Amino acid sequence: MMKQIKKRATLLLSLFFFFSANLSAQSGDGPTYEDILDGFNDPSRWLTYSGDYSGRRHSPLTQITPENADQLRSIWTFQSGTTTRGRGWETTPLLDDGVLYVTGSNNYAWAIDARTGRAFWEYRRNLPDDLTYGASAPVNRGFGMLGNQLFMVTLDAHLLSFDRRTGEVLWERELADYHVGYSATAAPLILDNKVIVGISGGEYQTRGFIDAFDPVSGERIWRFNTVPGPGEPGSESWPNDPQVLAQGGGGTWMNGSFDPDLNLIYWGVGNPNPDYYDETRPGDNLYTDSLVALDANTGELRWHYQFTPHDVNDWDSNHMPVLANIEWQDEQRRVVMVGNRNGFFYVLDRVTGEFLLGEPFTATTWAREIGEDGRPVVLNDGSLGCLPDPWGSTNFYPPTFVPGLDLFILTARETCATYVPEEPADTPGQSNFGGTVFIDSESGYGALRALDIHTGALEWEFRYPSPTFGGVMSTAAGLVFAGDHEGNFMAFDAESGENVWHYQTGSRIWGAAAITYMLDGLQYVMIPSGTTLTAFALRSP
Amino acid sequence: MKDLINTLGLCSRILVLFFLPLLGFHSSFVQELNPLEGDPRAARVGGSIFRAQCATCHGADAMGIDSIDAPDLTQIFTTPGSSDQDVFQTIREGIPGSIMPPHAFPEAEIWMLVSYLRSVGVSGFTGQIQGDPDRGMFLFSENCETCHRMNGQGGSLGPNLSMIAAVRSEDAIINSIRDPSAIIGRQYKPVSVLTEGNVRFRGIIKSEDAFSIQVLGTNQVLRGFRKSTLRELVYEDQSVMTTFNESALNGRDLTDILSYLQSNL
Repeated sequence: MMKQIKKRATLLLSLFFFFSANLSAQSGDGPTYEDILDGFNDPSRWLTYSGDYSGRRHSPLTQITPENADQLRSIWTFQSGTTTRGRGWETTPLLDDGVLYVTGSNNYAWAIDARTGRAFWEYRRNLPDDLTYGASAPVNRGFGMLGNQLFMVTLDAHLLSFDRRTGEVLWERELADYHVGYSATAAPLILDNKVIVGISGGEYQTRGFIDAFDPVSGERIWRFNTVPGPGEPGSESWPNDPQVLAQGGGGTWMNGSFDPDLNLIYWGVGNPNPDYYDETRPGDNLYTDSLVALDANTGELRWHYQFTPHDVNDWDSNHMPVLANIEWQDEQRRVVMVGNRNGFFYVLDRVTGEFLLGEPFTATTWAREIGEDGRPVVLNDGSLGCLPDPWGSTNFYPPTFVPGLDLFILTARETCATYVPEEPADTPGQSNFGGTVFIDSESGYGALRALDIHTGALEWEFRYPSPTFGGVMSTAAGLVFAGDHEGNFMAFDAESGENVWHYQTGSRIWGAAAITYMLDGLQYVMIPSGTTLTAFALRSP
Repeated sequence: MKDLINTLGLCSRILVLFFLPLLGFHSSFVQELNPLEGDPRAARVGGSIFRAQCATCHGADAMGIDSIDAPDLTQIFTTPGSSDQDVFQTIREGIPGSIMPPHAFPEAEIWMLVSYLRSVGVSGFTGQIQGDPDRGMFLFSENCETCHRMNGQGGSLGPNLSMIAAVRSEDAIINSIRDPSAIIGRQYKPVSVLTEGNVRFRGIIKSEDAFSIQVLGTNQVLRGFRKSTLRELVYEDQSVMTTFNESALNGRDLTDILSYLQSNL
């Protein structure tokens, strides 16, 4: 009798494990590195910030076209209940197996049913009362995902790993001391068994870095410091003062792109500290305002290109580097493209860092041109006209690259500012701008601009009434999706720039760019705005 | 310039030390009144702190930056009931969930900032107006009330003038009456549209995006327009307010109107 019970129990247990295992196989174990590498080939997924490692934010989906985009309608909305007044909902949701994984302001996060907009779980981090504002605002730009793990950075400068099924925190690691002014907002970049994260705090007494962590153990694998230590290469571009180097700024608060063939990570670096006051930091101040190419295995610097040597205008270069293989002057080149806060559009060889092109895409009196050696011919004389304001000619919000048309499309800001430096007080935990900026608030405006990547020439533009902080996405159907400061989510014909659809979301689109994916045979487009995440499609499911 | 900056920085530190004994630094209790009130040095050094710590968001002129919702701080004391203590608390604690951070400044520095904001805050009439407020009230009702509100009566096209004598100087008001197009406030930019049906609609822009414009008409009716449906959209530089020259309102008339505005406080 006892034996029989034992036998039945064993059978039941076997059945339980069989069905559990089967269930697990059905629901999937989450994306692998190979899946992320696969990029847009599976259109039912959006597995990394830009959709793939290239940073192009260009989807192959074609159900929505310039001809039918005017039939787009909202399918559902999700209300976060939390916001950042003065900024926006800056996240890019990730999608896998019909579930969206979304971070929000104030370190909230959710798993949301992509079919209905209903939440599976909500997470909120209890932030310390003495939180500093190294991130400038309590925002977050998204998760990284690997297997059943999610990764998110926090405003108190930690990296968290979650179980994506429950929102339970699996482990957390401190990136740096938030009391000094360190903070974190960027979406982690997931590579093969590595979680790459950046740091905020360039307005405080901080020293920027890029870290790689082991996704399972949470141990740090390598760190690249964006401001060299005494005697290290690049330190010659600073005064010989360890204290200045230790608080030289160089935040890394926007994530980067990755070339798996070259095994190189491309990541932008922020402003030197103090922002406007430069008496204490003569020199180019490497690697601030630069693009750095790092060996993904070791974090070693392969090359760098500095967009704004010796910056005095707070023109962080925290942009998504956009990778493409193109024909460049009758030669195949692997390039990286950046629309920079300093007002210039750049094309660099991404194998070597060689400067190929630098042309202005907004009005600027900062530099006359970028010389053949890649260095700007700096004027920096606001009295002659307009210098872009500290938020720059564009900002971190993503641009897009449309391969067939060879267009780099970005949101441009036309602004006028005058900078007056002032020696700052050096106080840990307090911002250190080092001066004042007079902004002509009457004259600014924004524009969606399409640039010919071979010349930097403006192919078309669509103007917005005010300087705008919305990101851009494109699709193979010849559509460009963009958001503006007045709250419009819009679709444009990529070739002509003609606006083919718009939807007033009711709140500014700030820092975010759209994603798109297929679900149950329907192409969705999604944008966060204010406290609302809205899913659009051509018809109801 | 650098010497001046250094001097201000040094002054800031010296003044903080000077004021330290006057303030309860280890107490979380915040007194209601600014202990530095009336001290011009406090406002001066507060200005230096403001430019270093606050101006990036609130503008070097403290008049705010719309694109990041940073408010015009020159208006901060015009809200009835707003106090030095409120402003002190907002600086110290920030506004949770917003771009406005908390500031762990010493209390003396926060009071200096309050002093500075008081000093740049809009100020009202500088003296007692010697006019006839009753006659001013009559003139107001004849010439101004169609567009401006006083104590719940009047139109809505122009600003409510009930508290204007507390926030604008006599000269500013006279200039607005004599030459209303010289300075047009952000909320009163004039526009003229011609609709598909050839109807002309003139008013002030309440809001606008790339596709639409929201207007308060000179007939004081709210109308929204899709830009794609308009035959004409003209951003004008002449205010919708009537210009009152000497023959319309003479000097004595203006004095009486000012007197009426002041009597309302």
